[in-house]
Amino acid sequence: MTFDDAFDARLNAAFAQAAEPLETEAEADRFAQKVIERLGRPARKRALMLGGAGSIGSAIAGTQLEGAFASMSDQAEGAMGSFAFFVNPEVLATAAIAIAVGSVALLLPRRLASL
Amino acid sequence: MAASDAELTALVIATKNAAAFGELVRRHQGLVRAMLQRMCRNHALADDIAQDAFLRAFEKIGSFKGTGTFKSWLCSIAYTEFLKSARKRKAADRLLDGLKAEYQDEAEAPRDMGNVVDLDRALAELKEDERTVVVMCYSCGMSHSDVAEATGMPLGTVKSHANRGRAKMQAWFANAEVMA
Repeated sequence: MTFDDAFDARLNAAFAQAAEPLETEAEADRFAQKVIERLGRPARKRALMLGGAGSIGSAIAGTQLEGAFASMSDQAEGAMGSFAFFVNPEVLATAAIAIAVGSVALLLPRRLASL
Repeated sequence: MAASDAELTALVIATKNAAAFGELVRRHQGLVRAMLQRMCRNHALADDIAQDAFLRAFEKIGSFKGTGTFKSWLCSIAYTEFLKSARKRKAADRLLDGLKAEYQDEAEAPRDMGNVVDLDRALAELKEDERTVVVMCYSCGMSHSDVAEATGMPLGTVKSHANRGRAKMQAWFANAEVMA
């Protein structure tokens, strides 16, 4: 690995001396504490990002639902037709969005609390 | 009796136990930070990279096969984080080219610690690859083949960087003594 002479010993001693202040108990504890504190954060960030993406996705999907329900009520007959007669497409779309956003709101705090 | 690195590593792999990983951090932080401080020549930046390296190690700990030492594996992750950071800093430097006159060199003035100041000055004389190899060999106690594995450099290149770097440092110290 390295040479075995006086200069080598001097280099090894210099590197050891440079590392000395970092090797104290207090310094090791302080640094380890910082790292441990940061360990949970990426997962928290990930949960927030996924939650945010889920909410945006729900909202975008919701804007398409009104059209889907409208065409369904136009085409459906019988029981579905009479159901669509009482519950108009706007109400169905709003309800679907509310369920999706509500699910995110319900699950996200639990997921964050478990991190 | 304190658990060995291998036992702690197995525990972290199996259960993602933060306390066990914290103990590994406590044991090896000095080595990793000292290595990065010598490479970066900026203590605050070195500590940031060291934190990122440990977080990365936690994420990737499943890839530690136990064929080499945990220390060498950790140093190779720290080196990768150092390279990432250097690339980012180079990109930022290019953006800051227009402000070059106002931009100060990021290397800190060496801290007043006698031999450590000399060490940092001598290391500053080396090319980046030479400095990396010398620091890994002397600061981390890694073998040439460990360094080759960690850096991806061919073994022959590592040996020649180590020899050249060491010779340059020896010349620098000899010159400094003459001047003194």
